Amino acid sequence: MAQDREEAVARARRDLAARLGVSEGEVGEESVEEADFPNTALGAPVGGEMSGMMITSGWRIRLSARGRTFEYRADRNQVRLHNFDGKNYRV
Amino acid sequence: MNRRNYTVHVALALALVVLAAAAGRIERWRQTRVVGVPLPAAEAPPRRVSPEEERARRERANTGEAEVLVRFKAGVSEERMQAIAAGLHDRVEDEIESVEGLAAIDDLDGESAEQIVADYSALPEVEYAEPNYQISVGPLEPAPSHIYIGHDLAPDFPGLPNDPMLSEQWGLVNVGQRDGVSEADIGARYAWEKTHGSRKVVVAVLDSGVDYTHPDLAGNMWHRPADVEMYFDPQLGTVDDENGFSALADERDPMDENGHGTHCAGIIGAEGDNNQGIAGVNWQVEIMPLKFMGRSGFGSTKAAIEAINYVIARKKDGVNVRVISASWGSRQRSRALEDAIRKAGEADILFVAAAGNDSENADRTPHFPSNYKLPNIISVAALDRRDQLASFSNYGEKSVHVAAPGKEILSTWLGGAYEEHSGTSMATPFVAGVAGLVLSVEPDLSVKELRERILNTADRLDSLRGKVVTGGRVNAARAVGAVQIK
Repeated sequence: MAQDREEAVARARRDLAARLGVSEGEVGEESVEEADFPNTALGAPVGGEMSGMMITSGWRIRLSARGRTFEYRADRNQVRLHNFDGKNYRV
Repeated sequence: MNRRNYTVHVALALALVVLAAAAGRIERWRQTRVVGVPLPAAEAPPRRVSPEEERARRERANTGEAEVLVRFKAGVSEERMQAIAAGLHDRVEDEIESVEGLAAIDDLDGESAEQIVADYSALPEVEYAEPNYQISVGPLEPAPSHIYIGHDLAPDFPGLPNDPMLSEQWGLVNVGQRDGVSEADIGARYAWEKTHGSRKVVVAVLDSGVDYTHPDLAGNMWHRPADVEMYFDPQLGTVDDENGFSALADERDPMDENGHGTHCAGIIGAEGDNNQGIAGVNWQVEIMPLKFMGRSGFGSTKAAIEAINYVIARKKDGVNVRVISASWGSRQRSRALEDAIRKAGEADILFVAAAGNDSENADRTPHFPSNYKLPNIISVAALDRRDQLASFSNYGEKSVHVAAPGKEILSTWLGGAYEEHSGTSMATPFVAGVAGLVLSVEPDLSVKELRERILNTADRLDSLRGKVVTGGRVNAARAVGAVQIK
């Protein structure tokens, strides 16, 4: 299901709140910027996942909570959490 | 039957049942002793899944590591594989026919992939075990709204195809359009003086499938010949591969629902001189769609191997499939995938792989499958329209063999559309396409000769010195033996 920028940010906020066990109101939005990612896994492959080697446009979403900053990556059809305690996740 | 005979028969039957059960126990006991694994699941006490295991299961679902690929050593029978799997509370889900001893193992008791790999790796019958990694090509991308400004090449270059978007295909014919450098291309217009390709050559696109109804591709799609029976696999059963092969259990149609595979297919062989859209490196060829990633963009190592297995089987059935184009990868090494590609090489099939888009030196930071040191692999970096290594492209003086156009590449897309995309994904099918062109004029070349031909005829560029093995960009004209006018 295609999503727009606002929907991607909302999904990222919901995910981070659930992951940290905080309310969505406690999740701050630091920045949302357009970005080109190196592959179709948005440069955030999960586990041993392989991806198409095509430059993929999307959004880099930086959220903050509990004094830390977290980076989500999204395009029209997916949201990924990048480098959360050393691992990537598909949201 | 009288009452006395009935009693005798019942007694005999009971004795046989007891004997059979005892024999089974002895056999299972012997197996347990030999391989050091517990009794099969049916006889083992039921396990409760702990919260930690459940968490591991959820984690696996999220990270996509649901299965394990195990290669058993030569001589281990199918029955033995099944017994070992049962003893570990697993089951053999599939066997990969092209690679002896390779099987996909389904976990039945919620263990983590790492634990399953460790369990099998410890067994003397096992050569290696690894998680069945998920592969993704990503979902559909927004369609860019490019406006293609006509730049009629025909008056300057007679003999070019009449495809109206050719002037935007700088990788084929670069006359300096859009700030490019003249002849920073693969020399297609000279190669086409000798050959336009041939429908006797089959090039497989191992990807998200191909939109085989695209008007610019439909005429060059492979279809199972009438004298070749439907594909049969012991595990998959009979598969109708009329339009190609899908390794996805719930999508047997190789129709592309993502776009990535269709883009790669157009570079190899969009129909040329049909007064429509673009031209492929080959105006004529047969493109075999192999789908191992679905609409959502995720597949698995096992599905990729199944598709390679299919190509090898069809080659043995007489289909002249000589090239696999693989525009995907990761940093995760898979020995099972490596074994499957090696088997393809033994079947005289060239495997052209994307070098990756991490701007990294692949000699130091390997990317797979392009980094496998196999004699049938060509690893491909990407160039821009000025003959410079694309900023995103991986490189490697020892591990990346050749470069090809890979930035701002126009090709076919879903729904009869055309889009421009960048990546070593796009460079790879240029090389696969050149391999197809070469085979159209020299069909009897071995995979070794074909690979050497492509690498030895590359145009050396200052920008690629020390960056790729050949130091050059693929050159179709030199590869097919046409005279290139400079």
